[in-house]
Amino acid sequence: MQVLAPSQTVSALRSLLAARFPERTRRPCGGVCSAVRPVDDALGGGLPAGCLTELVSAVPSGGGQTVVARLLAATQAARQRIALVDGSDGFAPGAVPADVLRHLVWVRCRAPGEALAVADILVRDGNYAAVVLDLRGCAERALRRTPASVWYRLQRAAEGGAVAVLVQTQSPLVPAVPWRLILDTPLSLADAGEPREAVADRLAVRAERSHAQAEEQLAG
Amino acid sequence: MNFAVLIVPYFALHALRRSDPSLCGRAFALVAGEGRKAKVTEASPEARGVAPGLAATLAMSRCPGITLRPRDPGAEVEAHRLLVAAAFTLAPRVEATGAGCCTVDLRGADRARTEAIMRLRVAELAALGLPLRIGAGATPLLASYAAQRAEPVLIVGDPGAFLGPLPLAFAGPTPGHEQILRGWGIGTLGGLTALPKAEVGRRLGAEGALLWERAAGQSERVLRLVEPARSFAAEWTYEPPVESIEPLFFKLRRFAERIALELRGAGFVAEKLSLTLLLEDGTDHRREFRLPEPGANVEGWLRVLDAHLGAVRTDARIAGVRLVAAPARPPERQEGLFDTGLRDPASFWENLARVAAIVGDERVGTPVPADTHRPDAFLMERPAEAVAPPAGASVHPACGPTLRRFRPPWPVRVACEGGLPARLEGGRLEGRVRAALGPWLAEGDWWRPGAWAVETWQVELAAGGVYQLARTEGGWCVEGMLD
Repeated sequence: MQVLAPSQTVSALRSLLAARFPERTRRPCGGVCSAVRPVDDALGGGLPAGCLTELVSAVPSGGGQTVVARLLAATQAARQRIALVDGSDGFAPGAVPADVLRHLVWVRCRAPGEALAVADILVRDGNYAAVVLDLRGCAERALRRTPASVWYRLQRAAEGGAVAVLVQTQSPLVPAVPWRLILDTPLSLADAGEPREAVADRLAVRAERSHAQAEEQLAG
Repeated sequence: MNFAVLIVPYFALHALRRSDPSLCGRAFALVAGEGRKAKVTEASPEARGVAPGLAATLAMSRCPGITLRPRDPGAEVEAHRLLVAAAFTLAPRVEATGAGCCTVDLRGADRARTEAIMRLRVAELAALGLPLRIGAGATPLLASYAAQRAEPVLIVGDPGAFLGPLPLAFAGPTPGHEQILRGWGIGTLGGLTALPKAEVGRRLGAEGALLWERAAGQSERVLRLVEPARSFAAEWTYEPPVESIEPLFFKLRRFAERIALELRGAGFVAEKLSLTLLLEDGTDHRREFRLPEPGANVEGWLRVLDAHLGAVRTDARIAGVRLVAAPARPPERQEGLFDTGLRDPASFWENLARVAAIVGDERVGTPVPADTHRPDAFLMERPAEAVAPPAGASVHPACGPTLRRFRPPWPVRVACEGGLPARLEGGRLEGRVRAALGPWLAEGDWWRPGAWAVETWQVELAAGGVYQLARTEGGWCVEGMLD
């Protein structure tokens, strides 16, 4: 019996998986530029279409809302439509220029259950380039009670479509998410006078090891 | 009307009949078991005198010429997929509850429109060989009761009036409980729910209390949702293989009907069809058709398939057939060179209506700043059909981190030193202030009732985090976080 070296075994396994499940080992095509350089760099060009990206604001004033504001500006510049499913009704329209709101569909939810049900509908819609599901500020206990099947269903809904789904959380929440980025350095009051673009470009974004990276490595 | 239940009575019987054209209009029955032990499980209306539970030999003597068949799992799977596809055209949250039964979460759906779609689906599935009944109610259980009484659609508006006269058997009592309740003179759900639930529970135990809840239609449960179809394909194996085009075409029609419904439920149309004939000698005949116009029109597909099959000659008999539709988004609207309008306007407005029904009309839309300097003043407008081109560079570009509001604001006590906030106390946010910016003063509407005035500060806490504070007549509050 021929015994393969470990590297050959892994290589053969990669080839076999790539042949049997081509859609699982393919990099997501397309995407939405977030206009936040650290985020785009971490994701290899922008929010990937057809899958979920979790952005964890692990500290207060981590910059999660600045990412949303920049994403609004970037999608407006590209003339793309965006939906913001606001789990705790925290978006402040007055905090962003009025002309970057015209392409936004804002849904003001009262509970995480509402937000997840709404996201499930909008991700399937086909008219949006990006759907932001903001669950920061929602009761942690209610979020933890969300069955994993709800997240898998959302991932399945996004798969194969052209929509990029950004889930904003306070702590890692989404099971088996392809991409998870962590914002773990708080902004300070000294940033208040800086142009927002410069503030966004200085955000400290840490990419956690993700399924997407694992799949890329698998695909070689 | 929060839930709907779709059921097909005598599901196995109808599934077999729609897959075998030779059974149409004939007396036939499904049997289970072998030889003398074989018993009828379901019988067609044409089989007079034959009822479930009857021995197969007795059925043959009572109804000469009756055709007896075992259940056909392949036909049932195909019929079940058709039923699930029909359910997905009502709403996206669907549970495949059992054989010939689906439960749909209708919360958020427009009632009048959904009722119209229900009636349309009933007529459509009846034409496809599945007599469908749909019941709708406030709970899955109530909808299930309604479906059993529907002819063919029943929406329960007043649960009390509907449940009252239903026989006790609807709630599924144990034989022991049924006997006790008969002894009390109770034979209907209304009779049981007229008794206090606590008293029923005290006398019949926890199971009795659950029975009371089922009788009141109050039993809630979490639906085990299924995914809408992602691949639009169907396959059938002929036993024995066929030589003529008729059985092949009959099966292709059934496939096309189901796939078209699945595509519509998922918001797709077909742009290509792929037909594979599996031959008895192990080879196959494949052909791909690009449709003249992407769509989900069954007759259009069949014309394309018929034109091809009429000219096909194979070296061996056909042992199986496979039909695959390649999905695409419907070309509802032609996008112009400089136009970035909606790709699918119908889906966009329908989904927004669904979302509005979940969160409320006033909580969905595009925010527009109101004509005032009052903090957090905005209007919600109907989203625009097309995304406008970006405006030129702003005279006052946005600066600093972006505010994320706490609605309602968090009350807080602020200790000041030298006129600056120095410490936050009480409420949900506490700590020493490391740095503060402000105040920004604003007031308005002083010339009429409802005058307002606010003093705004931005503070950075020593423990981390930048917050926006506001002082009004009512005291201090944390308006939000600069994030």
